[in-house]
Amino acid sequence: MKLAFLRGTGSRTDTMANQDVDELFEVKNSFYIGNYQHCINEAQKLQPSTPEIRQERDIFLYRALIGQRKYGVVLSEIKPSSPVPLQALRLLARYLQSPDGRPTVVNELEAQLSGNVDLSNTALLVVAATIYCHEENYEGALRVLNQSDALECRALMVQTYLKMERPDAARKELKTLQEKDDDATLTQLAQAWTHIATGGEKLQDAYYIFQELMDKNASTPVLLNGQAVCFLGQAKYEEAEGALQEALDKDPNNPDTLINLMVLAHHTSKPPEVASRYLAQLRDDHKTHKFVEDIKIKEEEFNRLVKQYAA
Amino acid sequence: MLTKFETKSARVKGLSFHPKRPWVLVSLHSGIIQLWDYRMCTLVDKFDEHEGPVRAVCFHQQQPLFVSGGDDYKIKVWNYKLRRCLFTLLGHLDYIRTTEFHQEYPWILSASDDQTIRIWNWQSRSCVSILTGHNHYVMCARFHPSQDLIVSASLDLTVRVWDISGLRKKNVSPGMGGLVGGDDHHTRNPELFSTGDATVRHVLEGHDRGVNWAAFHPTLPLIISGSDDRQVKLWRMNESKAWEVDSCRGHYNNVSCVMFHPRQELILSNSEDKSIRVWDMAKRICLHTFRREHDRFWVLAAHPTLNLFAAGHDSGMIIFKLERERPAYAQHGNLLYYVKERFLRRLDLTKNKDVAVMQLRAGSRSPVYSMSFNPAEHAILLNTRTHNLDNSTYDLYQIPKDSDPQNPDTPDSKRSAGLTAVWVARNRFAVMDKSHQLVIKNMQNEVTKKVTTQPCDEIFYAGTGMLLLRDSDGVSLFDVQQKRVLGTARIAKCRYVVWSGNMTTVALLSKHTILICNRKLERLCSITETNRVKSGSWDDSGVFVYTTSNHIKYALTNGDHGIIRTLELPVYVTRVSGSSVYCLDRQATPRVLTIDPTEFRFKLALVQRKYDEVLQMVRGAKLVGQSIIAYLQKKGYPEVALHFVKDERTRFLLALECGNIDVALDAAKALDDKGCWEKLAEHALLHGNHPVVEYCYQQTKNYDKLSFLYLITGNLAKLRRMMKINEIRKDYEGWYTNALYLGDVPERIRVLKACGKTSLALLTATTHGFTQEAESLSAHVEGGVMYEPLPNAQLLQPPVPVYPSDTAWPLLTVAKGFFDSAVGSGKNAATASAMALSVDDAGDVAGDGWGDEDEEEGDLDVAMEGGEGEGGGWEVEDDLDLPPDLEGVSTAGAADGEDGYFVPPPRGHPPTQGWTQRSHLALDHVLAGAFESATRLLHDQVGVVNFEPYRSLFLSSFAHCRTSYPGAPGLPSLFSYPARNWRTATHKDHLPALGLKLSSLMDRLKEASQLTTAAKFTEAVDKLRGILLAIPLLVVDTKQEVSEAQNLLRVCKEYVVGISMELYRKGLGKATPEEQCRSLELAAYFTHCELQPGHQILTLRTAVNLAFKMKNYKMAMSFGRRLLNLGPRPEIAQNIRKVVQVCEKNPVDEISLQYDEHNPFTVCASSYVPIYRGKPEVQCPLCGASYLPEHRGITCTVCTVAQVGKDCVGLRISPLQFR
Repeated sequence: MKLAFLRGTGSRTDTMANQDVDELFEVKNSFYIGNYQHCINEAQKLQPSTPEIRQERDIFLYRALIGQRKYGVVLSEIKPSSPVPLQALRLLARYLQSPDGRPTVVNELEAQLSGNVDLSNTALLVVAATIYCHEENYEGALRVLNQSDALECRALMVQTYLKMERPDAARKELKTLQEKDDDATLTQLAQAWTHIATGGEKLQDAYYIFQELMDKNASTPVLLNGQAVCFLGQAKYEEAEGALQEALDKDPNNPDTLINLMVLAHHTSKPPEVASRYLAQLRDDHKTHKFVEDIKIKEEEFNRLVKQYAA
Repeated sequence: MLTKFETKSARVKGLSFHPKRPWVLVSLHSGIIQLWDYRMCTLVDKFDEHEGPVRAVCFHQQQPLFVSGGDDYKIKVWNYKLRRCLFTLLGHLDYIRTTEFHQEYPWILSASDDQTIRIWNWQSRSCVSILTGHNHYVMCARFHPSQDLIVSASLDLTVRVWDISGLRKKNVSPGMGGLVGGDDHHTRNPELFSTGDATVRHVLEGHDRGVNWAAFHPTLPLIISGSDDRQVKLWRMNESKAWEVDSCRGHYNNVSCVMFHPRQELILSNSEDKSIRVWDMAKRICLHTFRREHDRFWVLAAHPTLNLFAAGHDSGMIIFKLERERPAYAQHGNLLYYVKERFLRRLDLTKNKDVAVMQLRAGSRSPVYSMSFNPAEHAILLNTRTHNLDNSTYDLYQIPKDSDPQNPDTPDSKRSAGLTAVWVARNRFAVMDKSHQLVIKNMQNEVTKKVTTQPCDEIFYAGTGMLLLRDSDGVSLFDVQQKRVLGTARIAKCRYVVWSGNMTTVALLSKHTILICNRKLERLCSITETNRVKSGSWDDSGVFVYTTSNHIKYALTNGDHGIIRTLELPVYVTRVSGSSVYCLDRQATPRVLTIDPTEFRFKLALVQRKYDEVLQMVRGAKLVGQSIIAYLQKKGYPEVALHFVKDERTRFLLALECGNIDVALDAAKALDDKGCWEKLAEHALLHGNHPVVEYCYQQTKNYDKLSFLYLITGNLAKLRRMMKINEIRKDYEGWYTNALYLGDVPERIRVLKACGKTSLALLTATTHGFTQEAESLSAHVEGGVMYEPLPNAQLLQPPVPVYPSDTAWPLLTVAKGFFDSAVGSGKNAATASAMALSVDDAGDVAGDGWGDEDEEEGDLDVAMEGGEGEGGGWEVEDDLDLPPDLEGVSTAGAADGEDGYFVPPPRGHPPTQGWTQRSHLALDHVLAGAFESATRLLHDQVGVVNFEPYRSLFLSSFAHCRTSYPGAPGLPSLFSYPARNWRTATHKDHLPALGLKLSSLMDRLKEASQLTTAAKFTEAVDKLRGILLAIPLLVVDTKQEVSEAQNLLRVCKEYVVGISMELYRKGLGKATPEEQCRSLELAAYFTHCELQPGHQILTLRTAVNLAFKMKNYKMAMSFGRRLLNLGPRPEIAQNIRKVVQVCEKNPVDEISLQYDEHNPFTVCASSYVPIYRGKPEVQCPLCGASYLPEHRGITCTVCTVAQVGKDCVGLRISPLQFR
């Protein structure tokens, strides 16, 4: 009974249950750990053995491109004639490309979801959840994700629970994930997220998970930031600096890296200019980032308060 | 049983180990004695003088001797160094069964079928004693290792113990060291049937058939015997009697030989039933049986010191061990874990601290075979292999964190069956079971999954998620998660795997081969050894240092390898660091061996092209030698080899080889050999370096070539000089050629004339129209024959050089290699480094200067800091163990989940919300983003009304309260909130981490202080205000820190008030007397601000000067005295003293001021007038600056934020203040 589950690492395991090796392993794996370029390279190298695998490969290829913020490429390559799951990715690319068009995209999505949803179309579910999460409609995201049994959907649920500040629910969901496949990269990641949210000694466990993934694959800004957050949580500032520098070298514009560097600068008593430089960079390149928006709100609140006391 | 070596020969009847060298003597039924080196597996020598079988052979303990005895009744003593028989002892009348040297005395013991045992003195070469009593063949006789006893076994069914103390007393005079032979009486005429020398002490009867062998226990009063009745009997004896203890039954044919294990409680016996058996001495049960198919065993021997045994059988002999001697160990960082005598020990290699960390669980007789250590979980897997592999087990231990080294714990282990268990991840390990199936288990020792692999028989560690699978002809790298083989390396029977520290390279060790591969198991190189490869470790620089049975060697990944040093005994390398090799010996005792790493470092540096290191090592000149030069030449580093060579000829050749003409030129100058010059010329010409070519030609006086060289380089002046030289040398040919080259017709005529070719000269002259010459010549031409010049003759002139090149032809600019420059300018390099050194020195000096200054500042600051000490840290005192949160809610959620209809749980609250509820400290509210409550707190606590200056503090603090980490791709990142009490924090008492620390404010105060010293008052005030503002946003843990913060606040206030006043004073005009007067007043007030002495000195100096200028001598005097009390620098002090002296003469004040130095006062921070003690004043609730009462309600001018005179709670920066 249990063995039937053991093999799966992704959503489409049923189609490949009889095969020994997951052809897409490398592609998926590098995607999940944020090694997008490697994912794209591997996907292009791959000779898919079945049309299903080809389609799934394309999904990851385009998702990786979206991960690299190459929305234009995705929009031009996915035609209306392309398979249904790819259409969902087109939707996501449109959503992420322009903040102005977002309400329309959300409306389209709602329309799609209100009909009969093909539950095997994991891509659509993932896209829907992603957009809902960006809209901070976590309940919507959970409703969508809960319908599917796919590992990725479950992992997204863990993250959504964490976004909702419900680590208890996340831990519970994580358990089902671990029962499905404890060794899968997504499970490991989800476990690391949950550990971070739990804090305390679990931070060290999270660190080990990230380190193990790096050992096994490669270091990416995603993993390095994860580690840096563990370090920052444990007040290990020197180690955090190492991880963040490496992340910065790999992607100088990663918002997580910038935020964490800012926190680090603060805790290591660097001159205030250092931190404000990172903040300025964030404001320039990631206007719509929650972090930047929060700060904007706080600025306004502060202005109001200054006036209030001056009066 | 582990067979180490086997020989094929005729039946083996006698065996003897050499005590020191890896040699064994084998005497054969064919009459030959063989000497084998069992480590190198070679036959060292053969001794063939006996006729018929040789049954007995024995090495001497010290001398290069051995003794043999055979069926030819002869005892022969041999010298194996001289490789011949020294002499033969005759006397026995039948086959000789055994011979043995005595440990101390110059005696040989022999047992013979003539029913006697004889003792011989090999120095006097005579028989000392004949022991009679047996009435059948004596099959064996042995000396006791320490007592004056002999044991003998005979086919008369008895074993006899003989006392030979009488013989010893008679033969060995005391004080002669026991090595002198017996007296003449005995050596000449051994007393037949004498009873005085050797007496029978015990006769051991019990065997039913003839006894083949008997032997003493090395230390206990025990005897073991083996007989044709197929039994092994154990006997015990004391002074008066001997008795049978027990019999070991099991052999089913004649027992041919039996012995005690030299160091363990074991008995070894062998038999004609083709088996060797190992018995437990205490329980007398058979532990192991080793069988051969066809060969009956005849003899056994034990190595005196090593755990080695030899057994002779019908078709040869075997050398074997009973058990592996390799200690189980695992190394991580500086820690070495190893098993010794049922303890797991930990050795810190850097501190050399060796402690037992735990006792292993009892239950298995077999030693630990291997181990795998998990640093993350501090857990260890110990594999135990039994003789029957199917019963092998492994134990999973959690190593206790702290344990008493004297009496370590025996923690519980999780034991399961399995051949090998190794870690594959932090919380997973792989187990290979007896059917060679692979399963992955978790920390609870539960199977998490089964993995099907290709057939393999062993697994090794290969980093996270990987395993190395071994099959008979290779090793594969296997990804456990993907279940895929990523790479394969072919190596027969790989035994051990050693990964480098960073897991980039791996060495696979088999019996005689080392294969070095990269992470993907791609082969880098392989090395074949003649000796067994034992162990290895990667040095920090990426050199593999390994041991064979007799050497420590190194290997580079390019395949270079060599011997570092020899070893007496095998050791197991655990770590290599610098010149230390850490290893375990066979007793599992950690040892550190020192090696000279120069050779492999040198080669490594060469391979990695770190030429600076190479050069350094070369200059260190530790490794000059032909072999190194040959190595360098062979490997294509002639330029490096150049450095080693002192011999000029080799140097010359090497220089040519690497195209270093300059060096070659130097060498050639030193050699000054024609051949060299020619060779150099040739090479230099190829390089286009024609000045060198020219030099060479000059040296060899090769005028032709020199001329031509000048021609082609267009050096006409030199060419002409050549012509002159040729003229002087009367080399007409050369002279003429040069003239031709130069197109110099008159010269040609001169040459022809000079060499007597007058007609040719004439012809030349006429052809070229030199009529005058022609005429004078024609007179000389005999016969008056005039040649008409050819009518169509043309004058061919050599081309005129367009650009005479007197420097070498331009070479391609090749980036100069390190060595080229180093060779070219060895001295320059030296000076350069010297220069670097001197710069360093300069730096040091400068540094000292700076340091001094720093110290001065430091003194100042230390004083300023008061009793500041770094606070305890993060932990918040309340250690509440709260139950796990929200269990109830989560179960509710679960219930929802079980239903068909999914209801998302309600959102939770971020930790930030808790901060505001739990804390009344402003900073926690700011961090939580609760600006509203934060401002209210600041307003209530310290009366802040103007929040604008707080903008950046608030916003940046808020921005620093959370870290961000990406989750699944595409989703918005998650936030994490670092806690200051992270070790203990739960959701319920989580509090934010703090960036702003009291100590960093102290640092800022130092900066402000420096600015003040430098009189940068505006900047200083800004800085100080920054500190003032930040103080209410501190969070500290102790009362002491609270008072320090308050102190800091006060210091800042004093400075801001003082400096503001000074700024105001400077802004005043100096035109009117009123203004001057006010200026002096302000300067006087300034001296009453509580500043650091250094700063106070400055204020006082200003005040002295002002007062003196304005002729207020009394004031100046008083300022001056105050100043002197503060201990200023000597030159200032001197100056001030003068002023004071002048003032003392006339202690009056010209102007009267609103200043009473004897009445304590504070200065109003707004109007800068003194408020004498006891007069009404109002204060700023934040900084405590004083104001005249009329200023109540204004915003404080010092901190710029708080409302003067507002009634407030006061500064609140620690949770302690709320208790």
